[in-house]
Amino acid sequence: MFRNYFKTAFRNLQRNKLYSFINIAGLAIGIAVVILIGLWISSELSFNKSFKNYGHIVQIIQNDENGSNNGINTMSWMPIPAAVELRNKYGGADFKYIALSKESGPCILTFGDKRLSKNGMYAEPQFPDMFSLQMIAGTKSGFNDPSSIMINQSLAKALFGNADPIGKMIRIDNKNNLKVTGVYQDFPLNTNLYGISFLAPWDYLVADQSWVKAGYEQWDNNSFILYAQLGDRANMNQVGNAVKDLMKGKSDRRDKPELILQPMSQWHLYNEFKNGKNVGGAIKYVRIFGIIGLFVLLLACINFMNLSTARSQKRAKEVGIRKAVGSVRKQLILQFLAESVMTVCIALLIAVLLVQLALPWFDHLAGKEIHFPWDSVSFWGLTAGLTLITGLIAGTYPAFYLSSFNAVKVLKGAYKAGRFATIPRKVLVVFQFAVSVALIISMVIIFQQIQHAKDRPLGYDQNGLITIPMSTPDLYGKYDLLRNDLINSGAAVNMAEATNPATWVASHQIGFNWQGKDPNTRPVFGVIGVTPDFGKTVSWQFIKGRDFSRNFPTDSLGMILNEKAAALIGFKNPIGETIQFNGQNFHVIGVIENMIMESPFAESEPAVFLMDYNNAGYITVKLNPDMNPHHSLVEVGKIFRKYDPSAPFNYTFVDQDYAQKFTSEERIGSLATFFALFAILISCLGIFGLASFIAEQRTKEIGIRKVLGAKVSGIWMMLSKDFLWLVIISFGIAMPVSWYAMHHWLQNYDYRISISIWVFAITAVVTIMITLGTVSFQAIRAAAANPVESLRTE
Amino acid sequence: MQNNMIKISNLEKIYRTEEVETIALNKMNMEVKEGEFVAVMGPSGCGKSTLLNILGLLDDPNGGSFLFNGEEIAHYNERQRANLRKRTIGFVFQSFNLIDELTVFENVELPLIYTGVKASERKERVEAALDKMQIMHRRNHYPQQLSGGQQQRVAVARAVVNQPKLILADEPTGNLDSSNGNEVMALLTDLNDAGTTIVMVTHSEHDAKYAHRIIRMLDGQTVTESILREQL
Repeated sequence: MFRNYFKTAFRNLQRNKLYSFINIAGLAIGIAVVILIGLWISSELSFNKSFKNYGHIVQIIQNDENGSNNGINTMSWMPIPAAVELRNKYGGADFKYIALSKESGPCILTFGDKRLSKNGMYAEPQFPDMFSLQMIAGTKSGFNDPSSIMINQSLAKALFGNADPIGKMIRIDNKNNLKVTGVYQDFPLNTNLYGISFLAPWDYLVADQSWVKAGYEQWDNNSFILYAQLGDRANMNQVGNAVKDLMKGKSDRRDKPELILQPMSQWHLYNEFKNGKNVGGAIKYVRIFGIIGLFVLLLACINFMNLSTARSQKRAKEVGIRKAVGSVRKQLILQFLAESVMTVCIALLIAVLLVQLALPWFDHLAGKEIHFPWDSVSFWGLTAGLTLITGLIAGTYPAFYLSSFNAVKVLKGAYKAGRFATIPRKVLVVFQFAVSVALIISMVIIFQQIQHAKDRPLGYDQNGLITIPMSTPDLYGKYDLLRNDLINSGAAVNMAEATNPATWVASHQIGFNWQGKDPNTRPVFGVIGVTPDFGKTVSWQFIKGRDFSRNFPTDSLGMILNEKAAALIGFKNPIGETIQFNGQNFHVIGVIENMIMESPFAESEPAVFLMDYNNAGYITVKLNPDMNPHHSLVEVGKIFRKYDPSAPFNYTFVDQDYAQKFTSEERIGSLATFFALFAILISCLGIFGLASFIAEQRTKEIGIRKVLGAKVSGIWMMLSKDFLWLVIISFGIAMPVSWYAMHHWLQNYDYRISISIWVFAITAVVTIMITLGTVSFQAIRAAAANPVESLRTE
Repeated sequence: MQNNMIKISNLEKIYRTEEVETIALNKMNMEVKEGEFVAVMGPSGCGKSTLLNILGLLDDPNGGSFLFNGEEIAHYNERQRANLRKRTIGFVFQSFNLIDELTVFENVELPLIYTGVKASERKERVEAALDKMQIMHRRNHYPQQLSGGQQQRVAVARAVVNQPKLILADEPTGNLDSSNGNEVMALLTDLNDAGTTIVMVTHSEHDAKYAHRIIRMLDGQTVTESILREQL
């Protein structure tokens, strides 16, 4: 029986090549998109799952009422005493492991004449067990020695080639030598620890950095990452409640800091907090793309439904005959379902091929390393399920529709679809276009928003600015020598040092006071220490007052405010006013325009700039605009190597660093574009098929009209008009839906566009043109045909 | 005396659309004996095709009684009708009604598939039917590759492959030239001689003469019946 079904189905596919192509191509694209999204979602959901203790690891973070100027701030930085007290009070049953850690930032690692700049982590001894490091050489226990270091496989290969790294000495930041005691497998891309090339002992950091040592006494020094693993029988909620108030009353600068245990399962997808509460995070994209994927597949299913029912007349006779020779309706339904499942199976084969071809490109687009899971049983199980469900969704309506034909009527040839038979088809086309149009509008708005943020005035000039991290102690104390050499070489026009580069703020502080300040508030300011040349190097813009100057010794206690800080403090004329900070009186010498140092999508934070020669971590250089940048960089590199021979000359362009801030939004935008394009492609395939069917069906009518004097243009209008109406209706549906969704999305950003009516107008015009283009091919072909031919064939 | 295979009494069929009501069968009465060959004639629209469709269980009556081999089947549901149809009735249509996507062999095989006959037996029976209709050499061709006469022979083969007790033929020669038409009529007569009951709707007086009896219809009722020859 089924052999007969498949035989008929297969021969039908062969005979109607255009419709088969449209159905199979549409379904293949739809399935490929669903598989790609599925793989992406599975990669997102499996984030960090490669850690053996996934279910028990937490990061301890804190809610701080005084951490921000608008509501409760949730921050992932912790003070050292919190870790000590947690270990003393709750170590053992509640927490099996507790490990303080600190990301190293770029460090210079030297072995022999090889020098590499790598990011690593300083961590307490329980860290390797907690994160179940896969050792390739050496042991985890070597990590107890404060002069040891563990490196990942890639770094081992880069530094030592094929030689055994164990026992070798690596020089770190040209200061100290550490002995390699272990080599661990690289952390995978889909973990939060990806890119951690080495692990150095916490005790080494404490011994090396006096401020870290001092941190053991400071409840307000929130500079460290605190990981913990719950005891095997511990309950997350109970432990969370027990430790919640551990920090209360420990600091007189903060009211009621509250500890939160953030389970590893939330680190990646649920890492956004608003006013102290978890509000999700990237999980929203997992959901949105999941829904979009299903919609794209549904669009392809709709093509199948529409073309099957539109062409029902051709299948009607077969239905009649089968009924006459003894088939019951159930058997016919089964036959048509088998047919749709078979079509979907063919589409699946092509989809698998498409996915395999598209994966490298998709990985690039999505920033992932997804491989086709050829050997995954669950993948194939899900795919089989998806195929079956798709076949059923696409096939059910046509199956019930076709099998309902009255045998007598169709065999008499009297079968004519009723007046209302085309309505479900029209509804489905409207649905298809509504989805496509909504995706296009969303895509345009996402890119407008990104562009809007890119065009945002920066408050400084990024042209020719490079940043060099001061990794080794060799650069300290040589500020003037280095600066003079750079300027005299002609390669640079200015240079300055600061506690952070122009693209982020390292330190946020409370503890400011001024005359007239509301004693009940504890506003937070970004604090940036700079050398006097910083402003001229980055070309910041003054609203009031003046820049730091070497000519005024009192500027060592001068303070420059950004506009936001000046507004928050509220002096009518802030110049010359006194502001207390950390027990010292600073006087305001200038107010600058806000510099966009943090998120380009967020409101600028209040920030103060202080003169500081001693705590700089980054050098910013303005290259000579009159010199070829390549040559300037070679010169600058030479000078840096002269003063800091142990470090490779690692620089980044400030504009490129800044561009990184758009990566996530651009990725979302690219994915949305990708899906929108496929949605519109599938929808167009569908109306192309319907248009060719209608042109075929109306051949005789067109012939008669032409004989009676109709022009090609008139017939083209007649055939296109119906589709145009459908697209206009779908636009009416898509517009409010996409407006609502995108309005909602834009609320994520402080600095955002308002949605313009033009987006809708332009999308409407483009969609109508695409529709007309698609339909016209068939319409004009039908209209231009010789009427004699069509009438004779009747 | 042969038993009645078909006995219909006061059979009614009314077609309703939004505006008009058409009475296709108006309290029609008719009997057909086992082994009989009956021709139904009448002008277009007199209800003969409707009658044939009801006899073939493709359509339900609105009223009256329909006894098939003595059993009342007017109230049968779709499944019961399909079951009875596929085991006992074969159809021959004016426009042949072969499935274009299936070969000659596969078209003839179709009723056997629906009655659940095993593949090996199907092959035997299809080949026997094709042999009998002298169309075996075309078994792997598609309907469009055959002449009208050949197509109708395939359709007859399909109608008889299940060895039905009753064959319903709706203007079986309507689309054929006279020599092909005569061949088909000869085939039907042979089948009838072998014991198959035949009810044939036709416009052709020539074809009607092959029957034992002619029923003439007008406005959904029998108007005259004439016996041409005695059933053996």
